[in-house]
Amino acid sequence: MTEFKPTILAFCCNWCSYAGADLAGVSRLQMPPNVHVVRVMCSASVKPEYVMKAISQGIDGVLVLGCHVGDCHYMTGNHRTAKRMPVVQKILKDIGLNEKRVRLDWVSAAEGEKFQKVIVDFVDEVAKLGPNPLKEVRF
Amino acid sequence: MPKKVVVIGGGIAGIQACLDIAEMGYEVHLVERTPSIGGRMAQLDKTFPTNDCSLCILSPKMIMCAGHENIKLHTYSEIQSVGGEFPRFKVRIREKARHIAINRCTGCGDCVTKCPVKVPNEFEEGLSTRKAIYLPFPQAVPRKVTIDAVHCRMITEKKCGVCKKVCQAGAIDYDQKDALVDIVAAAIVVTTGFDLFDASALRQYGLGACKDVVTSLQLERILSAAGPTGGHLVRPSDGKEPKKLAFVQCVGSRDAKMFQYCSSVCCMYATKESILVREHVPDVESTIFYMDMRATGKGFQEFVNRAEKQYGVRYMRSRPASVQPAHGESGVLVTYEMVGGITGQKTEEFDMLILCPALVPSRGSEELSGLLKIELDKDKFASTPSWKNPIDSTRRGVLVCGFAAEPMDIPDSVAQASGVASRIGELLQGVS
Amino acid sequence: MPRIGVFICHCGHNIASTVSVEEVVRFASTLPGVIVADHNLYSCSEEGLDSIRKSIEQNKLDRVVVAACTPRTHEPLFRSVCEQAGVNKYLFEFVNIREHCSWIHAKEPANATEKAKRLVAMGVSKAALLEPQTEGESSVTPTALVIGGGLAGLRATASLVAQGIDTHLVEKESRLGGLLNDISALAPYSEDASTLLKELVDEVKASNKAHIHLNTKLQGVTGFVGNFNVVLNEAGKEKEVRAGAIIVATGARDFIPTGEYGYGSVPGVITQLEFERVLKTGEKPGRVVFIQCVGSRQPGREYCSRICCNTSLKNALKVVEAGGTATIVHRDIMSSGTVWEELYRNASEKGVQFIRYMLSDPPRIHKKATGIAAEVYDEALGERIEVDADRVVLATPLVSRVDSAEVGKLLKVPRDKHGFFLEAHVKLRPVEFATDGVFICGSARWPSSAKETMSQALGAAAKAAIPIKRGKVVIEAITAWVDADKCAACGNCVVSCPYEAIEIVEQDGKRVAKVNETQCKGCGACVAACPNDAMQQRGFTTRQLGAMIDSLVKHALEESP
Repeated sequence: MTEFKPTILAFCCNWCSYAGADLAGVSRLQMPPNVHVVRVMCSASVKPEYVMKAISQGIDGVLVLGCHVGDCHYMTGNHRTAKRMPVVQKILKDIGLNEKRVRLDWVSAAEGEKFQKVIVDFVDEVAKLGPNPLKEVRF
Repeated sequence: MPKKVVVIGGGIAGIQACLDIAEMGYEVHLVERTPSIGGRMAQLDKTFPTNDCSLCILSPKMIMCAGHENIKLHTYSEIQSVGGEFPRFKVRIREKARHIAINRCTGCGDCVTKCPVKVPNEFEEGLSTRKAIYLPFPQAVPRKVTIDAVHCRMITEKKCGVCKKVCQAGAIDYDQKDALVDIVAAAIVVTTGFDLFDASALRQYGLGACKDVVTSLQLERILSAAGPTGGHLVRPSDGKEPKKLAFVQCVGSRDAKMFQYCSSVCCMYATKESILVREHVPDVESTIFYMDMRATGKGFQEFVNRAEKQYGVRYMRSRPASVQPAHGESGVLVTYEMVGGITGQKTEEFDMLILCPALVPSRGSEELSGLLKIELDKDKFASTPSWKNPIDSTRRGVLVCGFAAEPMDIPDSVAQASGVASRIGELLQGVS
Repeated sequence: MPRIGVFICHCGHNIASTVSVEEVVRFASTLPGVIVADHNLYSCSEEGLDSIRKSIEQNKLDRVVVAACTPRTHEPLFRSVCEQAGVNKYLFEFVNIREHCSWIHAKEPANATEKAKRLVAMGVSKAALLEPQTEGESSVTPTALVIGGGLAGLRATASLVAQGIDTHLVEKESRLGGLLNDISALAPYSEDASTLLKELVDEVKASNKAHIHLNTKLQGVTGFVGNFNVVLNEAGKEKEVRAGAIIVATGARDFIPTGEYGYGSVPGVITQLEFERVLKTGEKPGRVVFIQCVGSRQPGREYCSRICCNTSLKNALKVVEAGGTATIVHRDIMSSGTVWEELYRNASEKGVQFIRYMLSDPPRIHKKATGIAAEVYDEALGERIEVDADRVVLATPLVSRVDSAEVGKLLKVPRDKHGFFLEAHVKLRPVEFATDGVFICGSARWPSSAKETMSQALGAAAKAAIPIKRGKVVIEAITAWVDADKCAACGNCVVSCPYEAIEIVEQDGKRVAKVNETQCKGCGACVAACPNDAMQQRGFTTRQLGAMIDSLVKHALEESP
């Protein structure tokens, strides 16, 4: 049996976490190739529906990365994200999925290493959870 | 009518100066001696300490510069004369004949393919050849060919004419003459950069005598994907992959008999190159012979530490005394003084030796300073004595930034280049 | 049906040595809507751009996808190429397969290629749904704000006011000049530092365009490039000012040793800055030993602080000129360039002694009956020697100021791990932040000599002057809009907007949300808050992002389950 390689979607805000991801690249920090970054202007624009859409179609894990609280380019955007994502996690739990499939974290523009760590950790965690069971329902 | 500014030298300092001056609303004329802007930075493979690809970050600026509504490029051009005074300098620019109708040339390169004359390629530091009609490098701006009149057979001997036959755009003009352009400029900016000191003058280092001794700039070209070896690390003598490299710092610089100053950037680029070679050939070993490891910029010391710990670069505080060929034409034997309480000399064999020569004011900068009536310092860089205005030359209205004033790295040159725009804004405030 | 062109960049080796560009091109050409897929050695070169331009024209493309590096540096370039070829610049989509793929998966070429394909597919799916946009413009407050009244801030202010721009200069202390107040002289200039500083301070004070706020701290910042609202706390009183651009020039401070080399316990062991004050008094310096890299270039604080060697050289020369003796105990002398290397040479010629020590064997300091002894292993001699001294001067690095964290937070600009401010790009944007309209200079970014500080201050002043002189800034078309048919006027968006840019209005007999586009900054918070999918953000619509998710599902799960 081949090792399970999860498919992961990551929303990164333009100002901090996407820049952090760029810095990780410039620094040549190596990480598993499972994560697909979608750039948004602010983590606060990530609709819960996006996360649910991804998970319900079988994506194994969704990362939402924003600026550290207090550093949001749009003042308070990430406060909303911080409140919103736990709700999404609760919904996940309620429908019988492991809430760890969705993770919210903060990566600044200067934190290439943190970005790498978050990716490595999350990929590892989702790999341990195994494939998203909804994948089977779908196909 | 916006006031005009002439910028002399189209390297990164000149490009940045043009962009910021133009954004302030002045009309900028950029005079560049070679057929393309880009300067030394265009020749570099990567930049320290992030190893960001040099052309990748430079190219957008080159293109923005060429496309800016307030910037006029005069490439393949030189300053003929400078008259007048601040704020009305009368600058005469000689646009050398490219022998190409520049508005017709599409840069397709058909002529280059067919041209029979091969000459050493300056951009590739002589490691490959170019044609007598040529584009200096693939990302050149403007993307227009130039005929090198010294080597063109049609121009020198009236024999050939192949390029004219193949050019569908009808852009070839063998009879083209130099053109003179006069500009009344409120200010002049000197950004003429640097050349490498010809290290073959120091015979103990073996450049020219040993095939596997190259300059650091040649190594940049060897490492570049677009370079003469397609980015494969090979040594010149036999085209084989070297496994053991050495870098020599301060070749001609910090030397009482040659150039007394420190060239500022060599410690870091040698460190960068020693990391890059490892990325090309994983088991290659590098030794850097140095005097003081000057890692004073942001992230530089960390970069050196990384080179040492992660890439196994050996930093050797010693100045090699002599370099000899090792086996016939290949490899080198380096003899150096031992330090750290151990006395005596040691001779060690390397597959390839890279010299980091003194970086000197670019060719012609002394004549240019004569035309501009600005003073040079004792190291022949443009003198900038004012503490408050460190980018002012000794003549009002003539500014100087980047390596033309003093050895410095790219970010320092860029910061100064932006500073030029402010200084021009200050000088011209209220001047009609 | 859209007509999409996809262009994959080799970036020399940077992408192509890991990702099989040819394979990605082949794959891209099979995607729905893709008319042409091609590759370039460097897409951003004039040759690459030219081929994209030609391809747009020849193939009548109406959408362009470039898979290369990061939109944060290269998007404007490719957008302008689209415009030149007659395609609205908002019909361009950037896919990052370098920073986010080839560089971080260098050892897994096959997996990196697969990932690059999926990223391209996601980009293409979004591109198909892109819509043309027009940009807005906003006016610029013709005033600048400079934070920090040290050398950097003073020079930046002097430049701005000399260019006719009203400038607020904010200094937290009761006097201008910062660290320079404590310094005796600035090499290579012969005048006293106080003379030079006074000249600059007087120049700023003399201008009626300079508005100096002493004893003042930054308290709050809102707004964007062109129109910042800044709340200052001036000696306890709140004051609000407006600025079109902001320059950070908060400087750095010297590291105070924590007991190293007998600091605090052995009399006569002082820091370089303390020694500067001694030199200012004109007191006879006597026998002086300088120890370099105290608290720097070692684990915990790895960096070299750039200016300490040169400061010691300058002061050692002063000591010798005043009839004393000077010894510099160092690891490497960092006198880069012409001026500093000459200073090094002068110091050697005038009798300053140099002894090199190793990090593993630092000098030892002990008290003697009269004075101090520094015991050093001399690498050149190969033996341990003792140097007698009246004073031992510890050359400590510049470190970031504690309150720079607060300034960073208020302005939303990043700092690096040492607390120095992080510029937009270490190579090509040294005096800018990634945030438009906020700039940086001097030792707040990185330890800088006086000369470097002056150049950077001028550079930052130019960057700040540009939008003010132009008088307008362009607003990127990423603002929000409302699909009135879907809107139920619930007001969630109104509450979610940090800029109060949304209100509920009566429209065609129906209550709906309405976005004030000049106030909208394009964060998209309202989009996520809307329960009815009525709020949309230009360039990031729910359909566009949904298509990206569907595309990832299709290519990651369906085609290679």
